Amino acid sequence: MARVIVVTSGKGGVGKTTSSASVSTGLALRGFKTAVIDFDVGLRNLDLIMGCERRVVYDLINVVNGEANLHQALIKDKHCENLFVLPASQTRDKDALTEEGVEKVLKELTHMGFEYVVCDSPAGIERGAVMALTFADEAIIVTNPEVSSVRDSDRILGILQSKSRRAIEGREPVREHLLVTRYSPKRVEDGEMLSYKDVQELLRIPLIGVIPESDDVLQASNQGLPAIHLKDSDVATAYLDVVARFLDEDRPLRFVNYEKPGLLKRLFGGK
Amino acid sequence: MADAAPQGKLIEFKGASLAVMTAYIRDADAVRLADALHMMLGGMPDFFAGEPAILDFSQLGGQPERVDWTALISLLRRYQLQPVGVRRLPPHLHDGARRVNLALLGDDVPAAERPITPPAPAPASTAEVPPLAPVAAGAPADEPPRAPTQVVERPLRSGQQVYAKGGDLVLLAGMSPGSEVIADGSIHCYGPLRGRALAGARGDTSARIFSTNFGPELVSIAGVYRTFDRGIPQAVAGRNAQVRLSGSDNLHTLEIIPLQND
Repeated sequence: MARVIVVTSGKGGVGKTTSSASVSTGLALRGFKTAVIDFDVGLRNLDLIMGCERRVVYDLINVVNGEANLHQALIKDKHCENLFVLPASQTRDKDALTEEGVEKVLKELTHMGFEYVVCDSPAGIERGAVMALTFADEAIIVTNPEVSSVRDSDRILGILQSKSRRAIEGREPVREHLLVTRYSPKRVEDGEMLSYKDVQELLRIPLIGVIPESDDVLQASNQGLPAIHLKDSDVATAYLDVVARFLDEDRPLRFVNYEKPGLLKRLFGGK
Repeated sequence: MADAAPQGKLIEFKGASLAVMTAYIRDADAVRLADALHMMLGGMPDFFAGEPAILDFSQLGGQPERVDWTALISLLRRYQLQPVGVRRLPPHLHDGARRVNLALLGDDVPAAERPITPPAPAPASTAEVPPLAPVAAGAPADEPPRAPTQVVERPLRSGQQVYAKGGDLVLLAGMSPGSEVIADGSIHCYGPLRGRALAGARGDTSARIFSTNFGPELVSIAGVYRTFDRGIPQAVAGRNAQVRLSGSDNLHTLEIIPLQND
């Protein structure tokens, strides 16, 4: 069975799509046949972030409705061998998504030999978000170190525990991972921002990684390139660490300590 | 028709007794009552699950000229309480009650009824909240059997609610801000107590709330509640603590006491 990973948050704009793109790429780079699905029906962005927006012919709703099959709808990623994108519909609304339809798509992906399916959830707790988490085996809860994001993440965790199939059928619960994004160690040091430890203490789920705030992310989106491809950038390194930890490898946490820049750097500019 | 209908009664009347709850209404104003009920029951939409109740007006304050019966009944129905009759209603309000088909029951107090000390409004420490006249649920003649303790093993998340009907509740992994727990008995919280906790929901003034990491948004015992918008008292914040009612004879003060850590 393909392992289904939902990337969700409750709160909007915290980095779900960015993370879905990078994590699915990371898994594919490791050799796993991976699909990433956009569940934000009507407001699709995954295709833009992945750089395949001009190759979208059929989408998830077309497949759910039987208007196209998966082979026609899946878009092969141009940067990465093992990665395929299933975009959302831009024109329909979320009522077109049905639980049976989604289940059928996931079963077919398994038959096609996919090992991981990453579900990029929309923001909120309504249908699209619930559909994205219903069949999840694992969940990455993307959270900004900020109070309303933490509250919304907590809410989505509750929904995951009550509305996922694993919960309803009384099976082993969905494995939860906390991903703290847009982290600024300097602002934490200055007392302006929650630390990742505070966030973890409030949400009480295992931490899978911390992604630093970075201008690189915007650049990457504009280029249609998942951030994990930006060689040697902090963000790419952080996402590679996340994928490693997801695969049960140990990695020390990076980019969480604020190092005051040396005198010269402070004199001549720098963070 | 092959069989003739049996000659005899089509309906038969027999004596029966029904264990029913009494709701002592001290303020019949639907708006204020709605507030009080919301505070007590955390907005749980079907708290009473269709239970019948007698509305007792012996403690009605303010001597109102009239009562908006429609508003009152619909408010109680929203919490799935079924008002079946009224008792000790001032005579000038009888007509209104009759018009909404409430039975006017006899005024004598049944011998078996145990008076429960009605919860009073919140103590002075939350001065900014105006004193409410909450509806107190009195114990019926036969108390419902005590249910086994309900245990919640996973952290209770924002937006989730648990109601332990007829017994105690144990939280093994704490509760987040924005979550709610209600118990007819006591609440035992291992882990952070960060949401709203309402114990003794049916009027059991002996119920308590225990926590290993005290930091709630609201605590309530038998309707006596307290919020913490000025912060949690230093002596108990983040520590082992218990909440109970005190006050030698009238039990309307909420005490929060730190517990020994060793």
